[in-house]
Amino acid sequence: MSFELNSLLVSLHVTYIQNLGKNKDDLTYHLTAHLRMNAIYWGLTALCTMNHREALDRNEMIEYVMSCWDEETGGFGAHPDHDAHILSTLSAIQILITQDAIDILDIDRVAKFILSLQQPSGVFAGDSFGEVDTRFSYIAVNALSLLGRLGDLDVEKTVAYIVQCRNFDGGFGSRIGAESHASQAFVCCAALTILDRLDEVDAPTLSWWLAERQLPNGGLNGRPEKLEDVCYSFWVLASLSMLKKVHYIDSGKLTSFILSAQDPEGGGIADRPGDMPDVFHTHFGLAGLSILGYPGLVDLDPVYCMPAALIEKMGLRKGWQALERRAS
Amino acid sequence: MSVSVPEPLRYADRPEWNDVAPVEQYENVNPLAPIFYTNEYKDATDYFRGIIKTGEKSQRVLQLTEHIIRLNPAHYTAWQYRYETLLAIEANLEDELRLMDELAITYLKTYQVWHHRRLLMLQIRKPAPELVFIARTFQVDPKNYHTWSYRQWLLAYFNDANLWIGELDFVEELLNDDIRNNSAWHHRFFTVWQSGVREGEEDRERVLRRELIYVKQSISLAPNNASAWNYLRGILDHNSIPYQKMITFVQPYTLLLDEQVADLVDLENPPPSKSAHLPCASAIEFLADIYEAEGGNSMLKATELWKSLGNEHDISRKKYWEYRIREGLRAIQT
Repeated sequence: MSFELNSLLVSLHVTYIQNLGKNKDDLTYHLTAHLRMNAIYWGLTALCTMNHREALDRNEMIEYVMSCWDEETGGFGAHPDHDAHILSTLSAIQILITQDAIDILDIDRVAKFILSLQQPSGVFAGDSFGEVDTRFSYIAVNALSLLGRLGDLDVEKTVAYIVQCRNFDGGFGSRIGAESHASQAFVCCAALTILDRLDEVDAPTLSWWLAERQLPNGGLNGRPEKLEDVCYSFWVLASLSMLKKVHYIDSGKLTSFILSAQDPEGGGIADRPGDMPDVFHTHFGLAGLSILGYPGLVDLDPVYCMPAALIEKMGLRKGWQALERRAS
Repeated sequence: MSVSVPEPLRYADRPEWNDVAPVEQYENVNPLAPIFYTNEYKDATDYFRGIIKTGEKSQRVLQLTEHIIRLNPAHYTAWQYRYETLLAIEANLEDELRLMDELAITYLKTYQVWHHRRLLMLQIRKPAPELVFIARTFQVDPKNYHTWSYRQWLLAYFNDANLWIGELDFVEELLNDDIRNNSAWHHRFFTVWQSGVREGEEDRERVLRRELIYVKQSISLAPNNASAWNYLRGILDHNSIPYQKMITFVQPYTLLLDEQVADLVDLENPPPSKSAHLPCASAIEFLADIYEAEGGNSMLKATELWKSLGNEHDISRKKYWEYRIREGLRAIQT
């Protein structure tokens, strides 16, 4: 692209999201069936951030979510016929809450499913297959909190595992001993925030490590010597907002970077300028812009990655700080 | 030159699959989730659903799941069912591992490929060849997060001295290939400092000296390497050594090339190489941290260094350095 992309193409992105389900010729669409529930959550939340929630049909969405209910396990799969997984279960809960439809959920069963995934070490598995990751710890804490069932969780055990994932550079990894990664820093910070244990983080060192993710082109990477990617706009910024250090990042440069990754023809945002857009990067790019105070966007709660007003109404808002919303 | 490969015979057309009733994907009129398959994938997954329904565990199920996995390596149900089938029919798991070798290289970034190996290893329990295999995949993708995680798991789970013995050399080889490989630096820290004390490593003072020399020499070769500086800080923090002890080493890296004075070869303080880009921002940061820790008048020296970073040597983080200056000046006043 040779021309400047210096404003947010909201209506194009809204259309992009609306068109997502309509690509019948797209093999990739169905190959990503295992992400379908997540994709709907990303699309819905992106629309909320742009103040266009109504752009997708509410009833159809709820119907789809419930079609993914796995009666046997008490969780949600990514797609009808897919086994329940903690990833799709959280997305389902987030979608239902955002659509004000949480009443149709059997909260007891879902909470039981989530709690059943906690391992003796304190970490959570994603499903019965056994993959463990601090991501799943965050997902469990987030989901239980949204369901009002945090009281059922063994908090000490959960926190103890996360704390052991703290590395020498202040960052966090996916398991004990794993390399620091910005997305893992996010899930660990967010889980600890929800559990009111953010004091377990070495805030100065982690904040500095997160600030180091910004590259000369303005974009953020996930660990040293790796490429910039729009999605880190959220993982890094959300972490910094919980640590109340969003100002550590050059917001002008990051804003320009995210805007330059937009697709000016079909809408959507890509991982970096010039690449194909996808709903994942569209959502996280918009989330990053919201935290940076981009004008016209709606406040996003960085801990839950859901509309801030909604989280506040539920009494779940924690002490985070975003940049002030600019008028223009 | 491309060779056109004929599409494989559909399961629907294979007589040996006649006894299975294929189950079509749930057809939802919801436009949010329209389904479109290539015929091959549709056919294979229809028969997969049919197999799951009857609970069949057999050799042909292995063929079918392999087919699906090759078309879509992220289909986690197919992986799960395959693993259960392998156990149920008491298949040769080492043969399975060899098949996985082929898939791993093609589908390196897929979590399932590595988790499947982990499950197989829990049965086979021969980790040494796995380390060799992992080393091969690192030639293709030396920073693969899943692969490093798997290697760590292997070492920690089996925790055999014979497995650990070559690990430091292995890490050094990777760092020789790319001194900026953050995963390798992290693994070094894990191997040396976070996995217990092994035979031959009991003299922790010696280990510390060795690691300090190694990281300093790495910095000397390529000073603008965040991973190496993080490693240095990590060692010092882990061993409760004040950063101040490194001041003689660090100072030359904060100067220009023509300001260098060291002539003698000093193992404790290797100077910047002639091709280094100086001054080095990470070194200035480090020196500033030393002054900040000293407090008092030294804090002013720290703020001067932070100013030079924000204005000249690390402009990307100007806002961050301005913040450090403000905090530093506030500390002086109190």
